[in-house]
Amino acid sequence: MGSLLTIQDLSVAYEARSGPITAVNHVDLELHQDEFLAVVGESGCGKSTLGLSIIGLLPKPPARIVEGSIRYKDTDLVRLNGNKIREYRGTEIAMIFQEPLTSLSPVYRIGDQIAEAILVRESRKSGKSTVDSEFMQRTYKRTANKLKQTARMRHRLSSDLQEEVIRYLKLVRIADPDQVLDRYPFELSGGMTQRVMIAMALSQEPALLLADEPTTALDVTTQAQVLKLMKELIRKVRTSILLVTHDLAVASQVADRVVVMYAGEIVEDARVLDLFSNPMHPYTSGLLSCIPSGYKDDSELTPILGSLPDLRSPSIGCRFAPRCPHAMGVCSKQSPQLLQRGMNHEVSCHLYGQQN
Amino acid sequence: MANKTETILRTENLRKYFPVRKGLNPLSRREQRFVKAVDGVSIAVQKGKTAAIVGESGCGKTTLARTIALMTRATGGKLFFEEKEIVEGKIDRSEIYRNMQMVYQDPESSLDPRMKVAKSIGEPLHGLMKWEKQVVNEAVERSLQLVGLSADFADRLPRQLSGGQKQRVAIARAIAIQPSLVILDEPTSALDASVQAQILKLLLKLQNEFKLTYLLITHNIAVAKYMADFVAVMYAGNVVEYGPTRTVISKPRHPYTIALISSAPIPDPNTRNLLQTEIKGEVPSAIDPPSGCKFNPRCPFAEGICTSAVPQLEEISPGHFVACHFVSKTA
Repeated sequence: MGSLLTIQDLSVAYEARSGPITAVNHVDLELHQDEFLAVVGESGCGKSTLGLSIIGLLPKPPARIVEGSIRYKDTDLVRLNGNKIREYRGTEIAMIFQEPLTSLSPVYRIGDQIAEAILVRESRKSGKSTVDSEFMQRTYKRTANKLKQTARMRHRLSSDLQEEVIRYLKLVRIADPDQVLDRYPFELSGGMTQRVMIAMALSQEPALLLADEPTTALDVTTQAQVLKLMKELIRKVRTSILLVTHDLAVASQVADRVVVMYAGEIVEDARVLDLFSNPMHPYTSGLLSCIPSGYKDDSELTPILGSLPDLRSPSIGCRFAPRCPHAMGVCSKQSPQLLQRGMNHEVSCHLYGQQN
Repeated sequence: MANKTETILRTENLRKYFPVRKGLNPLSRREQRFVKAVDGVSIAVQKGKTAAIVGESGCGKTTLARTIALMTRATGGKLFFEEKEIVEGKIDRSEIYRNMQMVYQDPESSLDPRMKVAKSIGEPLHGLMKWEKQVVNEAVERSLQLVGLSADFADRLPRQLSGGQKQRVAIARAIAIQPSLVILDEPTSALDASVQAQILKLLLKLQNEFKLTYLLITHNIAVAKYMADFVAVMYAGNVVEYGPTRTVISKPRHPYTIALISSAPIPDPNTRNLLQTEIKGEVPSAIDPPSGCKFNPRCPFAEGICTSAVPQLEEISPGHFVACHFVSKTA
């Protein structure tokens, strides 16, 4: 498996009045071709910031990439300027977000929004690299003269375009796609809008799909449907997926590899079976024992004590040390490094010996 | 359902309908339609135990909690609290609230941003309980201690607290007046996993210490399994299955409960239950629910009778009730 995305020594900080907050701190991460990678962590661990920096959507300012590189295929995405990165954003690298309703435009029909995405892909393929902001308007104008004054001002997409839209809606298992086409986002349920988002993202035939908490706003039965769909699509359209989630259980169900983040740093990186059968970092095992799994009278939860460190004041040593049940003297003096501690199993912890 | 002597809360065919706004045309002859958020729920909660109401969004679990907490007026049905029937207009709410308190999902919005922690916790002690100032101060201090916050939190404002700490304050406020029933509406849904574990543990500790009764509203099966003695599964305004937690979770019999439990991800990559589930469709519209059993369009066992007759809760084993025509098929 070749490497698709290589993040090296990436640090991202948010400028605040009280000083910079380092949300991502010296992160190294590699994503392979056809891999389903899950980045897991609690709120504030920097997992979303990591995702946004890959696709160049960090709000700058206040965000600032302090150092490091994000190498996608052969391009360093960090060094690209605003227009250049648009050739990658939403096309080579697509993203779906937690709130599907806020990522769709409320004033255009579902079919038109997917059609726009397809048109963008076509114009990109035919060599027009940049797409101007009036694209949607032009999509409409082109069809406006054929417009018939029916009750709903119904306009029609060209039939082959419509067919392609329907094909994508079918791909994400939307029932009655020819009717859904004419609906507005608010007329669909949460699970359906998220599937529309996935359809739009996939219509770009992206090599990498970033999914930031795609099922957090959904119910469990819908979540199961959406995750199952994503898992199937990775095989069908050959896309790598980077799933950002707070839910270890979700990661365990779908991912090939799991990366655990804490306070802006990667603390553990392992294949999914290894991580759950043999969690090496105390934070990972702490998180696992936080998930209630037994019944009331025969199980005990062991919460991680304390709370997240303040990211404004860079601490010396391991950031988890104040909450760690195994903390030693060295933990508060020296930062551990992410080192290979087993087959494809990297851990950043002093418990497994000093670095040499 | 439960032994009457130890029942603290009981509902009989409780209903809450919300009217749907008609169109703008005043001459419209369309009949008034309703969202049947809670459509005939009968549950009983035993003293000192935890009953969980589990279901997906829109199933009516929060409306049920709000109706029980007298925050909205029931459309029909009966509600008994501590052996007394609560009849709208004839009751003194403050009397009820001295024994019934609620903890909400979002600790952010359930605390007054301008009130210091001590004031937030102390207010019901003054207003509701009419306690002396000295007593209130002691109670505030004690309840802070009970929820694991040090005394110097008393002078902080909500914005100086983390999400978990705010939820602890909300719990402290609920238990300070020593109620018999605490309604917990998704108490940990807004919290991170490690904080959720802390709060769940705290709730169990408080229950043991004060023999509290909990009515827990949650969408999270794992939380219900860990917290509750009894579970009621709601779907589209109805309870479809009810029974002891162990029975319902390990041997679910209603097709919806089966789907719900198998859709809840287990943190174990060796049992990828999520990818095997076969549930189709989504929760139906509450205005125009399917006729008969509301689950029939999504049910793998549905037959003709399911679209014509509403199944009633039937006791299939002691204390285990299921509302399904084909309960024999899921054995």
